[in-house]
Amino acid sequence: MLSTFALDTQVIKKGLCTGCGACQGMCPYWGSKDGRTICYFDCERHDGRCQAFCPSMPTDYKALREKFFDPASVIPEMGPFKALYVVRAADASIREGGAQHGGTVTALLEFAMKNGFMDAAVLGGEDEKGNPAGVFATTVEEVRKASGSKFKIPPTLATLNKALAADEYQKIGVVATPCKAKAVYKMKSKPLPERDNNADNIGLVIGLFCGWGLEWDGLTELSAKTTGGEKVSHSDILPSKYHSMEFTTTSGTKSVDLDEVLPLVRDVCKTCDDMTCEFADLSVGGARTGDGWDVDKGWNQVIIRSEKGEELFKAALEAGVIEIRKTPEGALEKIKVASANKKEKAKEIS
Amino acid sequence: MEWTLTANEPGKVCLMQGNEAIVRGALEAGINFASSYPGSPSSQVLGMLGNVAEERGFYAQWATNEISALQGCMGASFANARAICIMKQNGLLVSADALFCGVQGGVKGGLVLITSDDPDAHSSTNEFDSRNFAPAAEAIMLEPMTMQETKDMIPYAFELSERHHQLVIVRVTTRICHGRGNVVLGELPEKAHPIQAVDEWDRMNCVCYEHQATLNKLKAVQEEFENCPFNTYQGPEKAEKLIITSGTGKLYAKEAISRLGVAENVGLLALGTLWPLPEKTITSYMKEAKEVLVLEEVDPYLMTQVEAIAGRYGLNIKFSDRGTNVGELSPDEVLKAISALTGAAIPEKRVKQNEQGEKEPLIRRELTFCAGCPHRATFYLLKKALRSEKIPGISIGDIGCYFMAGGEAGFFGYQVCNAMGSGINVAQGLGQLTSYGLNQKVVTMCGDSTFFHTVMPGLLNASYHNSDMLMIVLDNSATAMTGFQPHPGTGITAMGKTVEPMSIEAICLAMGCSVTIADPFDIENTQQILLDLLQQKGLKVLIMKQPCATLKSKQGGPKKTVRVNPDKCLGDGCGCDKFCSRVWGCPGNSWDFENGKAVIDPVSCVGCGVCAKLCPAGAIEVEGGAEE
Repeated sequence: MLSTFALDTQVIKKGLCTGCGACQGMCPYWGSKDGRTICYFDCERHDGRCQAFCPSMPTDYKALREKFFDPASVIPEMGPFKALYVVRAADASIREGGAQHGGTVTALLEFAMKNGFMDAAVLGGEDEKGNPAGVFATTVEEVRKASGSKFKIPPTLATLNKALAADEYQKIGVVATPCKAKAVYKMKSKPLPERDNNADNIGLVIGLFCGWGLEWDGLTELSAKTTGGEKVSHSDILPSKYHSMEFTTTSGTKSVDLDEVLPLVRDVCKTCDDMTCEFADLSVGGARTGDGWDVDKGWNQVIIRSEKGEELFKAALEAGVIEIRKTPEGALEKIKVASANKKEKAKEIS
Repeated sequence: MEWTLTANEPGKVCLMQGNEAIVRGALEAGINFASSYPGSPSSQVLGMLGNVAEERGFYAQWATNEISALQGCMGASFANARAICIMKQNGLLVSADALFCGVQGGVKGGLVLITSDDPDAHSSTNEFDSRNFAPAAEAIMLEPMTMQETKDMIPYAFELSERHHQLVIVRVTTRICHGRGNVVLGELPEKAHPIQAVDEWDRMNCVCYEHQATLNKLKAVQEEFENCPFNTYQGPEKAEKLIITSGTGKLYAKEAISRLGVAENVGLLALGTLWPLPEKTITSYMKEAKEVLVLEEVDPYLMTQVEAIAGRYGLNIKFSDRGTNVGELSPDEVLKAISALTGAAIPEKRVKQNEQGEKEPLIRRELTFCAGCPHRATFYLLKKALRSEKIPGISIGDIGCYFMAGGEAGFFGYQVCNAMGSGINVAQGLGQLTSYGLNQKVVTMCGDSTFFHTVMPGLLNASYHNSDMLMIVLDNSATAMTGFQPHPGTGITAMGKTVEPMSIEAICLAMGCSVTIADPFDIENTQQILLDLLQQKGLKVLIMKQPCATLKSKQGGPKKTVRVNPDKCLGDGCGCDKFCSRVWGCPGNSWDFENGKAVIDPVSCVGCGVCAKLCPAGAIEVEGGAEE
């Protein structure tokens, strides 16, 4: 079967496309608009990288995990595990800028780039028109500009693919949601050794906790309705007991009932069984420790998964760019429960 | 050939194309006025007339459409001018209202309408048989069978037209227009036909009380046609087996009769007067016949008429035909039909064979845009834009070179194509439904010549009713499909005069449309413009400006050299898969089978360099040439 046809019929038409961008940026046949993956023209290859990298094509994820992580470290509910920390950026300007919660990802990226852990980074950000897009950052300033959660999932891996093909940077860090991270590890496993698109240039992977992504059109409409069309600088989903989503603009923060948001959840996200981004060197999410939202909202929690992840985290901690507070008892258990919950729901749907 | 067209050497034998024979016939008739809209197979006629118009003292014009052309001729006829109007089959339909009314109004100076049919639709969207129009319009119709007849029939038609104060249609087909044959020249008149003042009480009105008078004219013409030299018969005096034909069928039948050796026992009645039919003449042959074979292409026009005649005269005849109403007649088909009629065996055929004794196959030529054609870029961008929509947008085509965009050449770039100027109207209808539940973008397109031809009223309608759609004007500064005839946007006339060109942009603005101008070769920007325009509600006009590649190469000048760097070329590898030659599909982008790499065909390539912008590996390099 043609690879373009396989992806179209087995992934896109079945509603399984995550919009991650792994199929894009390598050829003239694939592209995207408003979060939709589009095949412009058919390619006649049957063994395209598009198909090989797609996280929604049939994949033996257990084997993939064993290839990159210590099997003994795996916790069934949440994947490879070395440690859990409650963390925030030490620099208040990061936390109070556009960053999500504690600004840990931004702080780690900036530190990694300054200290040779990465020479560039690919992350979700915005294009010049303000639409969600992959960002290829080679400076700390560019990283800072892209900080903050998007909830619209941009095809970030298209940007990664282009950066890899250019072969100008050899330690490209990636900030990825679980679906994207799966694709990144598929790329790293070199399913097509002859055509690996310089996968060795992929550096540290910083995973992001993810409940779900939202449909672009619907979210645009909802935020416009909620804010009266003002530009949203920041948005967040509050802990479940608040049952709401917040949009922050220059004139303040407005919230909307989660019941208006949930219908916008992308279908494919309902089939996802990974909340904590199990394929990553370390994974970062909003803190949900039981200490209460007033405390937690300025903090992240970080799961260390690999030695490389641990190395970066410790160096950053030592350098004082991040700070930790005591991990409350039961925090790990809370993550396990939430994560197992997502796995259960995904199983029900698929 | 033009030296022949105006050479006053009666008796001289010249090898002429049918279209040239029409021109020569018109000159020998001393025409005063000629008007046409181009369309294959008769596109060349007015171009040639325009070139000699000044020398021969008459007026020639490319009208914006066929109905303007025909009604212009009617105006000229009212002042006793001899006027000739040339159009293709579809043009006859465009001018139908004028024709049907014109027949009831009658004419003063001779008015000859040439309609060229294209059986098999070699250069048309459809095949159509204009013969049926003659009885429907109650008009006179002639059809020549050879180049000589074509030339001779034009002055005859003018005289006939003036004798009966009625316009005369001369129907020709592709084989006549594009075929060649010997023509003996007649005399060119010293002066053009005299123009006369229009009297206060002269009338050319279409009014119902003229209907009987119109029918009376036909009766008189029918009487005349019983002795018309363009109706011929060959064969035994009393033929039990009779062939009735017209047009191309005559020569095919003559050849078949000779090859089958049946000249003694089969009669061949070839009719040059298609309406009214010489009923008495036909009956005189049919009443001797037991079997009649009617040879004609496309509609069963003659068959229906001769069967009716047989019925009126109570003749018991077995009728047969070629067995289909589709496509052109072929010599083989005629041979088979006459063999079946006469029982004569078909002689063995001589087929050109190669050394291995196999039939040499003809290389299949794909229907595609020329190398460097701006339409390819437009449809590439359009396809991407339409596919970028949540539900892919709807695309409506129109008539011109870009008709080919419906196939591979234009990435299957439209879904509906009706008649010339139809795109705007079809799209307008769809565009009104976006407020009634149709959740798709609607796009249509037209060329610059088509814009002037029939799009303007439709655009006005769409604008007035603010249809939610995008109209793309593919402005390549040419009537390219038919051979670069001047149109109102070109600033030149059929007689070579420079005039003020009409601005499509200004016309659209005057019609209240929002207008954007883009260059299809500016791939990145124009793609964004297209995507953005699709997001806007209401009627948008996008003028894609880039001259026709053929027009540019006609103008000459240094062309850029385009090359593939084989070290960078990904060939059929993942990441490209022969994108340039397989998908982009420009004839300039070829494939080197030996090395498995892309290659530029330097003969076809016009140096536009668009493929270099699209090559995913940046392997196509452009050098030299004039600055844009």
